Amino acid sequence: METRAPGPGARRQQGSRPADVADAAVRLTDLSRSYREGERFHPVLRGASTTIHQGECVALLGRSGSGKSTLLNLIAGIDTPDAGEVVVGGVPVTRLTEPGLTRFRRRHIGFVYQFFNLLPTLRVRENIALPLELNHLPSGEIERRTRSMLAAVELESRADAFPDRLSGGEQQRIAIARALVHRPDLVLADEPTGNLDRHSCDLVLELMLSLTRQQGGSLLLVTHSPAVARRADRLLVLEEGRLSEPDSSAITV
Amino acid sequence: MGRLLLLTTLRHLRRQPWQSGLTILGIALGVAVVLAVDLANQSARRAFLLTAESLSGRASHQISAGPAGIDEAFYRRLRLELGLRRAAPVVEGVVTHGTGRLRLVGIDPIASSAFRRPGGGLAPDSVRRLLTEPATALLSAATAVRLGIGRDGRLPVRAAGRPVTLRILDHLPEDAPEGLLLADIATAQELLGRNGRLDRIDLILEPGQADTLARQLPPGLRLETSASRTRVLEEMVAAFQTNLTAMSLLAILVGAFLIYNTMTFSVLRRRRLLGTLRALGVTRRELFRLLLTEALLLGVVGALLGTGLGILVARSLLALVTRTINDLYFVLTATRLALEPALLAKGWAIGLGVTLLSALIPALEAARTRPAEALRRSRLESRLRRGLPWLAGAGAAGLLLGWLLAGTDSGLAGGLAGLFLLILGYALLLPPALAGLDRVTAPLAGRGGLLPRLALRGIAANLSRTAPAIAALSVAVAATLGVGIMIGSFRATVADWLGYTLRGDLYIRQAAGADALPPGVRELVESLPQVAETSAGRHAHIHTDRGTVELLALEPATRSSRGFRFAAPPLPRLWPRYTRGELLLVSEPFAYRHRLRTGDRLRLQTDEGELSLPIGGIFYDYGSDRGLVSLVRSRYARLWHDPGISTIGIYLRPGVETAAAEAALTRLLGNRMDGLEIRSNREIRERSLAVFDRTFAITRVLRLLAIGVAFVGVLSALMALQLERGRELALLRATGLTRGQLVRLVLLQTGLMGLYAGLFALPLGWLMSDLLIEVINRRAFGWTIFVRLPAGALGETLLLAVGAALLAGLYPAWRMARVRPARALREE
Amino acid sequence: MVGRGWHIAMGAFLASGLLLLGACERGAPPPPPRFTIAALLGEQGAGGFARATAVRPFRFPADHGPHPGFRSEWWYLTGNLRGADGREYGFQATFFRFALAPGPVTGDSAWRGNQVWMAHAALSDPAQGEHLADERFSREGPGLAGARAGPFRVWLDDWRLGADGMEGEWRLQLPARGFTLDLRLRPASPVVLQGDRGLSRKGAAPGNASYYYSIPRLQVEGRIRQGERGITVTGLAWLDREWSSSALEPQQAGWDWFSLQLRDGRNLMFYRLRRRGGGTDPHSGGSLSDGDGLIRRLGPDQVRLTPLARWRGYPVEWRLQLAGEPHGWRIRPLLRDQEMRLSIRYWEGAVEVIDEVDGTPLGRGYLELTGYRPSR
Repeated sequence: METRAPGPGARRQQGSRPADVADAAVRLTDLSRSYREGERFHPVLRGASTTIHQGECVALLGRSGSGKSTLLNLIAGIDTPDAGEVVVGGVPVTRLTEPGLTRFRRRHIGFVYQFFNLLPTLRVRENIALPLELNHLPSGEIERRTRSMLAAVELESRADAFPDRLSGGEQQRIAIARALVHRPDLVLADEPTGNLDRHSCDLVLELMLSLTRQQGGSLLLVTHSPAVARRADRLLVLEEGRLSEPDSSAITV
Repeated sequence: MGRLLLLTTLRHLRRQPWQSGLTILGIALGVAVVLAVDLANQSARRAFLLTAESLSGRASHQISAGPAGIDEAFYRRLRLELGLRRAAPVVEGVVTHGTGRLRLVGIDPIASSAFRRPGGGLAPDSVRRLLTEPATALLSAATAVRLGIGRDGRLPVRAAGRPVTLRILDHLPEDAPEGLLLADIATAQELLGRNGRLDRIDLILEPGQADTLARQLPPGLRLETSASRTRVLEEMVAAFQTNLTAMSLLAILVGAFLIYNTMTFSVLRRRRLLGTLRALGVTRRELFRLLLTEALLLGVVGALLGTGLGILVARSLLALVTRTINDLYFVLTATRLALEPALLAKGWAIGLGVTLLSALIPALEAARTRPAEALRRSRLESRLRRGLPWLAGAGAAGLLLGWLLAGTDSGLAGGLAGLFLLILGYALLLPPALAGLDRVTAPLAGRGGLLPRLALRGIAANLSRTAPAIAALSVAVAATLGVGIMIGSFRATVADWLGYTLRGDLYIRQAAGADALPPGVRELVESLPQVAETSAGRHAHIHTDRGTVELLALEPATRSSRGFRFAAPPLPRLWPRYTRGELLLVSEPFAYRHRLRTGDRLRLQTDEGELSLPIGGIFYDYGSDRGLVSLVRSRYARLWHDPGISTIGIYLRPGVETAAAEAALTRLLGNRMDGLEIRSNREIRERSLAVFDRTFAITRVLRLLAIGVAFVGVLSALMALQLERGRELALLRATGLTRGQLVRLVLLQTGLMGLYAGLFALPLGWLMSDLLIEVINRRAFGWTIFVRLPAGALGETLLLAVGAALLAGLYPAWRMARVRPARALREE
Repeated sequence: MVGRGWHIAMGAFLASGLLLLGACERGAPPPPPRFTIAALLGEQGAGGFARATAVRPFRFPADHGPHPGFRSEWWYLTGNLRGADGREYGFQATFFRFALAPGPVTGDSAWRGNQVWMAHAALSDPAQGEHLADERFSREGPGLAGARAGPFRVWLDDWRLGADGMEGEWRLQLPARGFTLDLRLRPASPVVLQGDRGLSRKGAAPGNASYYYSIPRLQVEGRIRQGERGITVTGLAWLDREWSSSALEPQQAGWDWFSLQLRDGRNLMFYRLRRRGGGTDPHSGGSLSDGDGLIRRLGPDQVRLTPLARWRGYPVEWRLQLAGEPHGWRIRPLLRDQEMRLSIRYWEGAVEVIDEVDGTPLGRGYLELTGYRPSR
């Protein structure tokens, strides 16, 4: 953890996060969210609560449609809950205005999707640089960090390719690089390996865990794979719209 | 905005060359049409103003007179007794060269020198020869080049019906108007047979001098300011030009649908990408700006292209505009385009403005959705469905407002604004209407097999895409229908009018630019045994309390009276009173323009002083939109001291062949024929309709351009729709649809869209024609047009819509059929 | 002897700085280049025109009328007046006729014709230091300008000179910008035929001559208006008549022309033709006449002229020594600025003649200075 670069730390001190809640990376309180389907409302979350500590790697399990992606979207501020509160790194996300949310997301969150969601019109290098540019970093710094991130995911040779020339595993590595390049406090990963073969899966997972830990950030990982879940510090299960911590023996399924 | 953000959109545009290209083409066409019409109008106007201004130069006032012109002795009096030394005489007329017409202006170069007319910068020797040698003239440089006449070249013309060869001493400087022959006043008088007479006297008057002078003018002469004179001429063509502008705006309206459609598609197609950007932390504002920048980019390229295209189109349009002005109003030559920066800027502003406005809604939509939602297309459809009642409401309001605005007495501009509101309202009604249609067709489609069902469902399920495309095509097709009905009705009305107006079997008139017929011609004609009787007419311009107006002094034959049809019941005992010269007849445009009714009085300025006569009847007349007044010739000749006649109508005895009579006439008149034209009733009718068709040639061109824009719109919409459904279609292919079936599906769907567009265009076209005829043409020109639906127009409209849609569907169908299903599936 | 209008009409056209017709409206910005009357008149050669080659009989009043076969012709009236207010005035009224082409005219229009007219007018008011000038142009037809012999009449627009009812009397009516002349003129001396019985040589080339006669004294009475002020005046005028088809010879630059009416009844006309680069042309000359007619012709040697003072390059003051006269004369302008700033620029002004020894006033007259390039 001592490998942490000074950049995000310095930023964090300027930020609004109070020091006393520094160890709680994410705190969710009684989150509820339902969607309209035609004339009926379909509840997805019904009072989900949990806390993720700083530097912690948490795996989120649950059946299809149990609301895992919704939970992630609520934490990232992409979606807003009907009730309840989300606090990330001391910032009450649910109370932010839309532009505030966007700025918050841009600075503190990194996202990895199941379908890699790289921008097809940007080259590999440019895809990674995008979050840095959104955060208005100086161009020299953007250049330096992009290069080191490319090196970290071992894809320097593909820097100038467009994403559609890359294999699935390569694309996901790029997505991880993009999610981590601005050293977010929290990385949200929505089944990042769900679409990959076994070998790529391991590689991607290893990369994500090690890089996140290296940067000292927290990770919330949605997965169906017990193998993946076992690599996490802690497990969370979303069931009936609520979060619970199963004992680790239950996950062998 | 970040470089990378910009890159995402730039590369997107480059990766979709068809889409980007069509959008740009749409914008370019819209800008081109608006610009071309503007340029043509403005250039014609400039040429006209140049002619008017440079010919009167710095003159502050003009003295003009009735048909006989001004006695030149009055000019001498002006200088020798009234001491007005800044006074310049002008003799004006038209000479023909081949089929072209040139304006011959005779001036006194010495008296004119204070007026800064063209003729400055000429070699003194040219001016000296102009003054001293008969049949010499100077010719506009551009015209001389066009006719291939060099310095000291010879130009054969017909002046006052006589052939003359003019010597062109020099070319007029570049700033002189085109089509101008400048000659010494003596030459002009001799050529035009106007010895002793002047057409006007230009004056530079000090303040206060005008009133004094006006009091000293003999009866029959009028003093007016140059500005008012120019204004009157300008007003003549204003209505015609407004109509052209309306047509060009129609094109941009259709273009707006197209741009809106492409922008919406462009946003929808990237909904995943945009969602990703939002999730990555791109703010709404940044996204909104990004999309507007993209639109701006397309707009700039489109506007640039449109400018070039517009200038090209304007060149041919200008020829049409000037020809129409020549046919209808006065001699004008204009081949140079007035490329004023302001004009170009206006075309640009309209192009960019419409592009940005059209992009505004999709851009707002994209920026407004939350990142999680931006990823779903279905939400847009459901949002549209929820908005349908609102659209219906707004559409109905637009229709109503447009109709009210056009219907009330709001003038020409109000009429046009109403027309546009109406079109817009109607277009807004289309999505709800299509949704309603779906409810009707869905059960039917269920029985029609797989392909029709798929096609119908495709239209209804993608309403956000299909509705604007159908609307654009519908408006364009409706415009062609509306304009078509208008022109068709107009033509039929004019043909009818010619039929009952031309009562005589043969007509004789003096050739172009001439004055009265030689004396004795009528007596000779009447001596022919084939001739039953003749009528005689004299065309002249007279001054009234409602301005200058063309007068037809008529000496009717017994059958002539049937040549008039009245818009309202005329005064009792009309014909006896008309024959005694106790009343006037005025044409409908004249009455409309001056709000005159049967029984009102008109004050005439005659050479015998002022005279007030009642209006006995208001007759239909389509010969002039400025109006025509008719007075019996015997009274006219007394009042204006003008015994001349300009036309003779010949009524043959029963059983006499027209051709035989014409031959006999030609033999009889023999050497007097020079400059006379003998035309049969049928020939005049045909020629008039030919002029009519020429006049509307420009309208036809504009209609084609509007259809062009709409076609591009439909093509682009269909391409977008089909490309977007690529995955769905690939799935169908994978499930077992053959290539042929796929092509049929796509074509069926586009054909259906075309059919819908065509069906919806029918009522709109009818409404538009009604407005065009009842409101705009009447307000602009004052004509009553009897509506007639051209046979087959409705069928043609449907065919046009379906044809255009099918044509536009060909490429997407071909492309979809070629795509391998596996690949299309993987792309998503 | 040579007439004065000669140079004004011709010489200035040949000079380079041609003035534009449009400039006649003073204060207006210079108009764009256009053909000028000046250029128009100076353009054609003398071919086809009648020439003054031989002595001819003069007949009056016929010769008061126009001679359209010649290229140019003028009626040149100058005079010194005294107002009822006791002030001195000078006036000039000149009508020029130019033919643009020789030969007969074909065409029926009344505007058709080859003749173009120009007129200059001026009023000098030395007491106020004011010099007013105006000009007019016109073609001849239809009756806009012209001249006639019987009864005598010459006119351009509303400027006219001619017989007006009273036997043996002419009337000048000339409403101009800023002033109006309305004068009755009665010849008070016989016609003087200048040169050789009216044939006045201007150069060595054969035919380079004009027909030239003068009426050195006309009694004047009438009214002038200057602005809003009307004054009754009396005085003496001088009429010059000349017609020819010639031009200045290349070596001739211009001239200084004197018409002096002395108190002793004698009249002196003398012109000095200046050669380019200085010096007097041998064709300079003049005449001395009295109330009965010609006394003697004057050659270049019989009059010695010395300029005394200049105003803007014009030698406006002179010493004149006439052979046989005991004393020299000083010729002084009543006003220094009597420049004609019209489309052609020259100096034409009222002068007085003084005995240079005892200062006795000897008479009045007019001085014309042409071919100078006035300094500003």
